[in-house]
Amino acid sequence: MKNARGLVCAALVALGAPLLGQAPQIPPASAQTPAVDLSGYWSPALHEDLMERGAGSELADYGGFPLNEAGRLWALSYDPSRVTLRHHQCEAYLAPYQMRALGNFRIWEERDAHTQRLIAIHVWAQTTEGHRIIWMDGRPHPPAWAPHTFRGFSTGQFVGNALVVSTTHMKNGALRRGNGVPQSDQATLAEFFVRHGDHLTNVTVVTDPVFLSESIVRSNDYYRQPVDPGAWLYACDDGEQILDRPADAVPHYLFGQQPYVREFSTRYKLPLAASLLGGVTMYPELAARLRSTNDAEGNGLLAPARGRPSETSKAMDAEPRDGNVHVWPIRDNVYMLVGDGGNIVVQTGDQGAFVVDTGEGKLSEKVLAAIRTLSPNPIQFIANTSFRREHTGGNAALGSAGQDPSLPGSFFLVQAPRGVTGFFDDPLAHATMMAHANVQVRMQAAGAPAGAVPADTYLEDRRRKFHNGDAIELFYQPRAVTDGDSLVYFRRADVIVAGDIFSTTQYPVIDVKSGGSVQGEIKALNEILNRTVYRHQGEGGTYVVPGHGYLSDEHEVLEYRDMVVIVRDRVKAMIDAGATLQQVKAARVTADYDTQYGANMGPWTTEMFVEAVYSSLRVTAGAR
Amino acid sequence: MLVAFTVLAEAQRGGRGAPPAPPTARAAAPFDITGQWVSLITEDWRHRQFTPPKGDYASLPLSPAGRKIADSWDPARDEAAGEQCKAYGAAGLLRLPTRLRIAWQDDTTLKLETDAGTQTRTLYFGAPQGTGGDWQGLSIASWDYPRAAFAGRGGGSAPGGSLKVITTRMKPGYLRKNGVPYSADTVLTEYFDRFDVPGGDSLIVITSEVIDGEYLATPYWTSQQFKRESDTSRWNPAPCAAR
Repeated sequence: MKNARGLVCAALVALGAPLLGQAPQIPPASAQTPAVDLSGYWSPALHEDLMERGAGSELADYGGFPLNEAGRLWALSYDPSRVTLRHHQCEAYLAPYQMRALGNFRIWEERDAHTQRLIAIHVWAQTTEGHRIIWMDGRPHPPAWAPHTFRGFSTGQFVGNALVVSTTHMKNGALRRGNGVPQSDQATLAEFFVRHGDHLTNVTVVTDPVFLSESIVRSNDYYRQPVDPGAWLYACDDGEQILDRPADAVPHYLFGQQPYVREFSTRYKLPLAASLLGGVTMYPELAARLRSTNDAEGNGLLAPARGRPSETSKAMDAEPRDGNVHVWPIRDNVYMLVGDGGNIVVQTGDQGAFVVDTGEGKLSEKVLAAIRTLSPNPIQFIANTSFRREHTGGNAALGSAGQDPSLPGSFFLVQAPRGVTGFFDDPLAHATMMAHANVQVRMQAAGAPAGAVPADTYLEDRRRKFHNGDAIELFYQPRAVTDGDSLVYFRRADVIVAGDIFSTTQYPVIDVKSGGSVQGEIKALNEILNRTVYRHQGEGGTYVVPGHGYLSDEHEVLEYRDMVVIVRDRVKAMIDAGATLQQVKAARVTADYDTQYGANMGPWTTEMFVEAVYSSLRVTAGAR
Repeated sequence: MLVAFTVLAEAQRGGRGAPPAPPTARAAAPFDITGQWVSLITEDWRHRQFTPPKGDYASLPLSPAGRKIADSWDPARDEAAGEQCKAYGAAGLLRLPTRLRIAWQDDTTLKLETDAGTQTRTLYFGAPQGTGGDWQGLSIASWDYPRAAFAGRGGGSAPGGSLKVITTRMKPGYLRKNGVPYSADTVLTEYFDRFDVPGGDSLIVITSEVIDGEYLATPYWTSQQFKRESDTSRWNPAPCAAR
């Protein structure tokens, strides 16, 4: 029994559960005892949607999908050649589509060796080597700031004659393969597995507040294979597909300019609107609804509706906002702390903590307490990714925690004390704070206290430091969201701290007045992508910590980069056509992304983002 | 030893000493299937929401004979013959966009009505009445419970269950409105399962297997999903349409 509990706990350590105070709730045996045995080899019966699941979907065929305006526009903007981009080439399928994919499945149980409790049910899909783990041991779902994966985090229990599965924490991806029907990282999946003899049925219910107006229910059928069909591997490596393509090129169609949008309706003699009407296309009412449609309605669905206020983000707030600081282990000795505004990263070791960003400073005492649970030694270094308060607000408090009276002093302090030079912090009294020089300049200009201002600055290229056994590099990102942004890269741990260059919760806060620009932002996002390496099928590997939001990998950065490029292209096209800022705003150029990143109030609204993009491009145009 | 196991298994199956079996199919129902349900056409959308062109039988495992019939589809001929309902027979009916009303006709008979084509299927748990030969054929219903464990914890009656319906003796009809045929020898096996989405809708998913040695090369497997409707005002009976 002790061994069994130890095994469960070991798994939870991997999830960081003990640090979060999440205890496993072992379910009653009745919920664990399989009411249906799913083990074995299964092949999909491809008697529904064969074309989609084989050759691929037709462009603009969105019928049967309850897409909201954002979802429809996202799909219409999608150019399938986007998969020629290196980082998109090996993307795995999201869990709902994985269950519809071609190829065989293998399902097996994982049981504790001593208690024979059911720990998990594993599903291995031949295509994309799709490994799903359905946890049956009662563990909770991770918090909002935990990483997302293509297959998400699944828990299950037996209800009646079915296995009922709940999945969260999936990535952005395709709800349908090949024609852009999107599923967001906010989607959740409920599933039912039921077996009738050698026939297995899997029902998927996807709820996505970002792209769907209501849930979509689909079902997949499989028949049992008596022997191992083999061929379980699905290797993928990305490579160059189109040479000399600019790094900031993302294939997409401007609103209303999808050149193939009428092919589907023309080929099958359907009204253009038939496949674009969203939820009603699922119901028997569709026939009656189409009797009142016309070309004008269909054409109107190809671009954002005018005169409508922008949608706002439907995304779950990744900030806990419970007055506590939460620790999430990233990898090795690197941790993410959430709760005090911007994300904080802490690297620990014998040499004392290396901290990246310090939050707003409202919860600095709790931040310090959390760091002390990870590393009892004084904080040695603090690096700031920008001058913003969400990232420097705790500088003074955390800097003071670098006090170390045991040190014998520093030659440089004697020769050039900070009081004289303004440069070197006293390691006896304060952690050394690093940032790009413009962070120092802007914080001093804003009247920040000396103890909060980074003194160890750099001007170009990079700052580097070997600490706690890892090579840590700061890379300057000129004119990204400000003129002082740095990426911080822990090379051995393979963790990039992106600061406000990257967020999972909002549009980039491009502060043009403080030197930010959309071009620099795109370049900075590409700088991240130039350094990431995924572990498997486009996910995992290098972790990227956003300034705000959940712990990510290259896929989230990629989707974000694509978004910024696409919005930039739309704004640029309008500027080139002579549009004013007001006309650009009225065109709702972000309509397909607003339900994920948009805001109509607060410190950073969609309008402010669009204006920042517009201003950046106008400045560039004026400079030519 | 073998005897002991046999006795145990018998007891688990409701043998001597076990509680008496529920008296009626209605009382034995593992879930409530009654009410109004609306189809969710989220798969094969173009083929189900619209009548596809002649010869479009993608996804269907047709035999050469089946293809030959499908390629000769003529809706005018069906209309002239008064056979507008060929796509509304049991093997194709629940693939159409429709609403279902399911109710107990008596303790051993379920009545399943559709507003599409205004059809009625009668599902008999007991001895069937009639001989079939019409669009809906003869349907024999039973509750299909998960197999109980032979021994150990979890033995005895397993929870949950499905409604199993086997339909034969159907008048030849269409699996798809564009004339994809099934023959009089077709056997349709359906499992009705109810799933309640946590915090969401109640669903019925009907998994069906069509076996037709004449027009299908392999069994034809699909599953159709329906959502429960508490607002029954959208029930809209309409006659069969051949096009």
